[in-house]
Amino acid sequence: MTALLEGRAVCFGAHVTTDEILPGRYLDRGADEVAQYAMAGADPGFAARVRPGDIIVAGADFGAGSGRESAPVALKGAGIAAVVAPGFGRLFFRNCINLGLPAVIVDDVAGIVDGDALTIDIGARTVFHAPSGTTRPIRNLTGISREVLEASGIVSFTKRRLLRP
Amino acid sequence: MMTLTEKILARAAGRPSVRAGDEVWATVDRMIMNDSSGPRRLGALVDDLGGLWDASRVVVVSDHFVPASTIRHAEIVQLTRRWAAEQRVGAFHESDGILHSLVLQKWLVRPGMLLVGADSHTVSAGAAAAVAVAIGSTELATVLATGQVWLRVPETIRVDLDGALGPRVDLRDVTMALLGAYGGEWAGYRALEYGGSFVEALSLEERLVLSNQGIEMGAKNAIVVPTARLRQAFEAAGLEDVLGGLALAPDEDANYRERRRLDVSTLPPQVALHPSPDRVAPSGEVGAIRVDQAWIGSCVGGRHADLKQAAALLEGRRVRVPLSVTPSTRAIYDACLADGTLATLVAAGATVLPPGCGACAGVHGGVLAPGERVIATGTRNFRGRMGSLEAEVYLGSAGTVAAAAVAGHIVDPRELD
Repeated sequence: MTALLEGRAVCFGAHVTTDEILPGRYLDRGADEVAQYAMAGADPGFAARVRPGDIIVAGADFGAGSGRESAPVALKGAGIAAVVAPGFGRLFFRNCINLGLPAVIVDDVAGIVDGDALTIDIGARTVFHAPSGTTRPIRNLTGISREVLEASGIVSFTKRRLLRP
Repeated sequence: MMTLTEKILARAAGRPSVRAGDEVWATVDRMIMNDSSGPRRLGALVDDLGGLWDASRVVVVSDHFVPASTIRHAEIVQLTRRWAAEQRVGAFHESDGILHSLVLQKWLVRPGMLLVGADSHTVSAGAAAAVAVAIGSTELATVLATGQVWLRVPETIRVDLDGALGPRVDLRDVTMALLGAYGGEWAGYRALEYGGSFVEALSLEERLVLSNQGIEMGAKNAIVVPTARLRQAFEAAGLEDVLGGLALAPDEDANYRERRRLDVSTLPPQVALHPSPDRVAPSGEVGAIRVDQAWIGSCVGGRHADLKQAAALLEGRRVRVPLSVTPSTRAIYDACLADGTLATLVAAGATVLPPGCGACAGVHGGVLAPGERVIATGTRNFRGRMGSLEAEVYLGSAGTVAAAAVAGHIVDPRELD
């Protein structure tokens, strides 16, 4: 994965659950079919307005609840390059990392609005918010989760680390 | 100095001890999945990674899409059935009930085990004094192929429960009270460890309520300490304590992040208001909120005890709004048929549906129209959970749900006595 991600912010409030990121009525759809339903429970116009490389900026506990992997699969399929929040539902976070989608914890997302230019530097562990000129430290992405992310996900990580001859 | 979760993870990691914050690679004793999260999403990945490491440790249950209501659902169930047969997995069930209920009912988990599964309510298996952690389908494929999972050892929150429940008050009222008091992020990334005099006598089915709802508090795992009652249940089933897990106890000086104590004796029946399991109030204090439907079911709310509580309240009464009842498993269905519970429910006007996840997954079996309001025993009540985004879901114990079905609005079930 690229260490430097530049994109537009797409903002959501706190406590957006995976039931809203991908509602249960789409659970029967395959991984290649769900992008069009991304965020259908929170913002039905999302899939139409999102652009490849956009970065979701959300409030606390983004992705709480159901562990459905189709939630981050849908976001990734819709072109989302990273998700930034003060905290994530544990399973949603783990699924993002396992799919190679950076889920980045910063303490404060205040002042970031739709369309703002953001630069996420995974190497330096910072999020730069261009309109305010502020740099916010990334609180997570250490240890094994970072290694998994750097390998672009758990499958390639596993092939390298556990299944090597 | 270890909590119960730390002791079990130390064994699984092959280390003398672990501490909260350590990252460990651990060998997994059981890998579980359902028809939604399972073969359709991970079958090809498992092949790509070299196939199953140990098929005997794998549990597959079709519970989301049975009975199939569309051809697409039928194809998922068919694919699941074929994969389970081809791979010769240790246990496979279709239309027998919900994965998390069956793992306990069929003794597929033992005290001391490390179990991982692709479904958030995998935490339920902590009822059997195991560490049960949910992961995603893609990661489960890697665990199926290698037997290994990486985990950061979680800090533990110890919850001691004391006292005895009052009339028409249920285990579910205990977890709702905890959710109301501490919130849905309380146990995020942490382990919950339940003990205290109240849990001494709890059956496995009762323990499931405590472990299952741990995920609504954000927990990585939720474990109930083993007691003599759990030992008796295993002995009565003729089962060996293969890992010695029944003898496990947290150390006296275990390092807890926090400790909480709750006397359950004075708890009134609770409800969780739409749209979050932690928006909790006593059911008698929310006013007469009208409901359009009532639903009893799910891994946490379709237990034998739930159906019996509902039947006890509905005996000699008629429901005023449609009430659907979905037993968690076939064995519960059978037991309720044998002891007259189903006859009482049907006589009161309830509709009995086949075992499975049903409406709790928002897939079929009682999903809601815009503007409708349901009171349910389901696992969670997020926006859109049981159908339309414009429907409202309230949660309560089976007694509270049955009382609302009779009254047509939310009410403290004790007011009907």
